[in-house]
Amino acid sequence: MASYIARRLVLLPVVAFGVTVLIFALLQFLDPAIRAGAFITNPNQLKAIDAIIRKYGLDQPVYVQYWTWLREVFTGNLGWSQTARMPVGEAILRFFPPTLELTLVAFVPIMLIGVWMGTAAAVHRDRLIDHLSRIFSISFRSLPSFVWGLLVLMVTYGRLNWFPPGRLSLEADLFVRNPEHRFVAYTGLMTVDALLNGQLWIFVDALRHLAGPALTLTMVSIALLVRVMRSSMLEVLNQDYVRTARSKGLAEPVVIDRHARKNALIPVITLSSLTIVGLLGGVVITETIFNFPGIGRWGAFAAQQLDIPGVTGFTMFVAAITVLGNLLADVLYAYFDPRIRLQ
Amino acid sequence: MGSSRKLLALAAVILLAGLTGVAQGQVRNPDTLIYVSFADPETMDPAYAYDTASSTIILWHIYETLVFFSGSSTGTFVPMLATEVPTVANGGISPDGKTYTFKIRDGVKFHDGSPLTAEDVKYSLLRFMFMDRDGGPSELLLAAILDTHGTRDERGALKPGLFAEADRAIQVSGNTVRITLKKPFAPFMSIMAMWSMTVSKKWAITQGDWNGTAAGLSRLNNPKKPEDTSMFNKANGTGPFKFVQWDRAARQVILERHDTYWRQPAALRRVIVRVVEDFGARRLMLQQGDADIVAVSRPEQSGVEGLPGVRIIDDISRLITDGIFMNMNINVAGGNPDVGSGRLDGAGIPPDFFADINVRRGIAYAFDYTTMIRDCWRGKASAGNGPIPKGMFGHPSGGKWYTYDPARAAAAFREAHGGRVWTAGFRFGVLWNTGNATRACIASVLKANIEAINPRFRVDIRSITFPTLLQQYRESRLPVWILGWAADFPDPDNFVTPFMHSDGTYAKAQGYKNPEVDQLILRARFEPDPAKRRAMYAKLHEIAYNDVTTLYSYRVDFQVMRSWVRGWYYNPAFFGPYFYPMSKQ
Repeated sequence: MASYIARRLVLLPVVAFGVTVLIFALLQFLDPAIRAGAFITNPNQLKAIDAIIRKYGLDQPVYVQYWTWLREVFTGNLGWSQTARMPVGEAILRFFPPTLELTLVAFVPIMLIGVWMGTAAAVHRDRLIDHLSRIFSISFRSLPSFVWGLLVLMVTYGRLNWFPPGRLSLEADLFVRNPEHRFVAYTGLMTVDALLNGQLWIFVDALRHLAGPALTLTMVSIALLVRVMRSSMLEVLNQDYVRTARSKGLAEPVVIDRHARKNALIPVITLSSLTIVGLLGGVVITETIFNFPGIGRWGAFAAQQLDIPGVTGFTMFVAAITVLGNLLADVLYAYFDPRIRLQ
Repeated sequence: MGSSRKLLALAAVILLAGLTGVAQGQVRNPDTLIYVSFADPETMDPAYAYDTASSTIILWHIYETLVFFSGSSTGTFVPMLATEVPTVANGGISPDGKTYTFKIRDGVKFHDGSPLTAEDVKYSLLRFMFMDRDGGPSELLLAAILDTHGTRDERGALKPGLFAEADRAIQVSGNTVRITLKKPFAPFMSIMAMWSMTVSKKWAITQGDWNGTAAGLSRLNNPKKPEDTSMFNKANGTGPFKFVQWDRAARQVILERHDTYWRQPAALRRVIVRVVEDFGARRLMLQQGDADIVAVSRPEQSGVEGLPGVRIIDDISRLITDGIFMNMNINVAGGNPDVGSGRLDGAGIPPDFFADINVRRGIAYAFDYTTMIRDCWRGKASAGNGPIPKGMFGHPSGGKWYTYDPARAAAAFREAHGGRVWTAGFRFGVLWNTGNATRACIASVLKANIEAINPRFRVDIRSITFPTLLQQYRESRLPVWILGWAADFPDPDNFVTPFMHSDGTYAKAQGYKNPEVDQLILRARFEPDPAKRRAMYAKLHEIAYNDVTTLYSYRVDFQVMRSWVRGWYYNPAFFGPYFYPMSKQ
C-alpha cells in the first residue's frame, strides 16, 4: 500500500502541471488584446492596450509565455494575481484556510445527518421517515444553491440576526487586527486560532459567521449522501450475514449499527471524499453570497477577469486537491473493505 | 457565470423585497463609518491608481491636493494644501496663462508627524508624472505641464531630457511651488484639484521609493505590477484619515482619524471600506446597520426602496456620458460576424454603411429616447446633445438634438446609399458588455425602433465580455456599440477629446475625422477666456448634432445610506463618498 501511495504522490506534480499546460493553451485562443483587458479598469485606459501587450509579452508564442511562467514557478513565484491584488502563492495561502475551515465545519452535519437520514430511511423503508427524507433531500437538491443561500441569509441574518455574512463581526475583526492584542494567526482557521489565543468570544463569533454558509452547504450537499446511504443500506440489509445476525437473536439496533451500517458505509466513503474535494475546491456561490473570503470566490473571479496567473494557480491547486482527495478515498476504501487491496 | 450573476441579482431583489428591517433604535458603531461597495481598489499608490475604487479611498482622505472643489461646483475652487487659489487677478497665474504659483500652507503635518514642505509637492508631481505605467494616470499631468503623452519613446526607453525639462518646469523657492506649462492649458486647475496628491518625500525615500533624481527614474518608471511600488500597501499623507490596513483577502481597507489634521479633525474615528460583491448581502448589511453607505446599481434600486432607517438620495449628476457609437469604417479583415454578408443585400452591411450621414440620421430619428430613459434608466437619465454632460461647464443647455420621429427616420433611410438601404434592407450587430442590464435594455429599444421602420431592417443585439468589447471596438470591428465615459477631471476637454477628436479614444475607433473639430478642440484647450471657451464648446456640440456619429445620454446617480449618516454632500468630481464632513447620529 505504501508503494501505491508513493506512486500516486509522484503523479501529483505531473497532473498539476498537465492542468496548467491545458489552461495556458486554452487561454491562448483569446486575442492578446482581450487578455490585456485584464489590466484595464476603465475605457480611459484603452490607448495603452498595445503597450500592455508588449509589457507582459501577451503576443509571444504560447510556449514562450509558458516557459516564462514556468521559470518563475521554479523560483517559487506563481505570478501576480490581478484579481486578488497579491501574488498567486499568497492568494492560495490566504484564501484556502477559510475554505478549509468552512469545509470542516460543514462536513460534520453533512456526514452525521446524511448517514443518519439514509440509514433511517432504509430501515423504515416506505414509512413516513423514508418519505420525509426523500422529500427533503430532493427539494434541497432541486433548487440551486444561490436560492438556498439567499434564503438562509435572509432568514438567519435579515430576520433573526443570528448568522451574519463575512468572517467576523466588526468588534471581533478590529480586535483580531489590533496589534496590541497580539492575536496570532497560527493556522488561518479563525475558530482554531481563537481557541489557541484563548479568545472564546472570537471563537463563538467566528462560528456564528460559519453557520450560515455551512447550513447552506449542508442543505445542498446532503441529498446525494442520503440517497446513496439509503440504497447501500437496503442492499446490505438483504445480505445473508444480516439475516444470520438476526437469526442469532441479536437485538435490532446491534444488527443495524454493527453489522449493516458499517458495511453500507463503503460507497459513502468514496462519495464523502469527493464531497470534501468539491467543497475544498471552492463553493463559489455560497462564498459569494455570504461574503466569505474563500478560494472558490477568488477562482471564479479570476476566471471572469481573465487573470491568467490567478486562474492557472487556482487550477493547479484544485488539481492537487483532487488528486489527494481521490488518493484518500482509495486508502480509506481499502481500509474499510478488506476485499480491496491496493497495489 | 455572467447569467448566473444576473440570476443571483434578480433572485436577491425578488427574495429580499418583502423584508422589513429589524435593526431599529440606536446608531450602530457611532464613531465608525462602513462603506460597502463592489470593486476592490487596485493600489494605495496615488501615482499608480486610476480606478474608482482606489481613488475613492485615497483621494482627499489619505492624500490631499493643492486646491479642492468648492462645495458642489466643479468649476470653482478653494485652497487645500495651497493657501490661495491662483488667479490672474491675485498674480498666481501669469498673464500668458502659463505659470501657476502655489503658496504651500504652513502647519500641515503628514500622518507620521513630519511637516509638509513645497519640496514634497514638487516630488509628488514629478513622481506622478514619471511613474507613467502603461494605462496609468500620469498622462494627465504630462499633457498639462509638458505637452507630451508619455515618458518613453517607441522602444520603451525613457525620453532623454524630459526629466530635466520637468525639473525646470516645477520650481520651488521657500514655501512656494511655481509650475510653468509648456502651453496654456485651460483645464489645469481642475487637474490640480484631483491629481496633485501630495506624499512625503522623506518618508517615501526611507520606504525605498524613488530618490528624487534622474538616476533613480528607471526603477520608478512603468512598474510591472501594483505591488512593485513602495506605496502599494502603505501610505503617509496629510489627509483627514490615516491609512491603517488593507486586507486584500478580507477585502477591506481601514482608515483612522488623523488627530493632528490641519483643519478640524474628522468627526468619525474610523472609516472602513469593504467589498461585498453580492447585492443580497450588501442590502441585508444596510438593513441591519452593519453598513452605513452601500453602492447600489440602478437595476438593484427597488431592493433598497422603503427600507426603514435608510435614505436614498437621487438625481445626483455624474460626469459620465453614455454613448451609442456608430462606426463609419468597419474593419472586416479576416471576417466579421457583426456585418453579416458584408454587402448591402438585406443580410448585412458594407464597411462604409455608417459613413453615409443619412444612415446615421435615420438611426438618430428612429431612436426613442423617451422609452429608453423610462425603461432602461428608470427615468433617471436625459437625452444628450453632445459629449459634454449636463452640469459641467461648457454644456450648452439649449443645444439641438434629434427626437423620435419615424417619418423623418424613414425619409433619411430612403436617401441613404442611393436608396438601396430602403429597398434592400440591412442587418448589423449592436454590442455591449455582458452583465450590464441597462445597456442590454438600450440595445433592445434600439433594435425595436429600427426594425419598426422597415421590415427589411434587421438589428442583431449581442453582449460580449468587457475585455472582448474593448478589443473589438478598438480594432473598429463593431458596427455599433454602447459604452460610457467618466471624467478624469471635470473639464469639457476631457469629453470632447475622446468623443470627437480624430485621435480620441472613441472617435478614432469610429473612423471620424473632421479637421474643423480637431482644430476647435485644441483652440478651446488652450483658450484662457471662459466665455470664448464656452462658445467653442457650443459650436462643437452643434457639429456633434450635424455629424451625428454618436447618440448621447447623461445619467443621474443615487446614493443609499442609513439615515443616521450626517454631513454627506456631493460634488460630481468625487469618485465616491467624501468621509471628512460625515458623522453618525
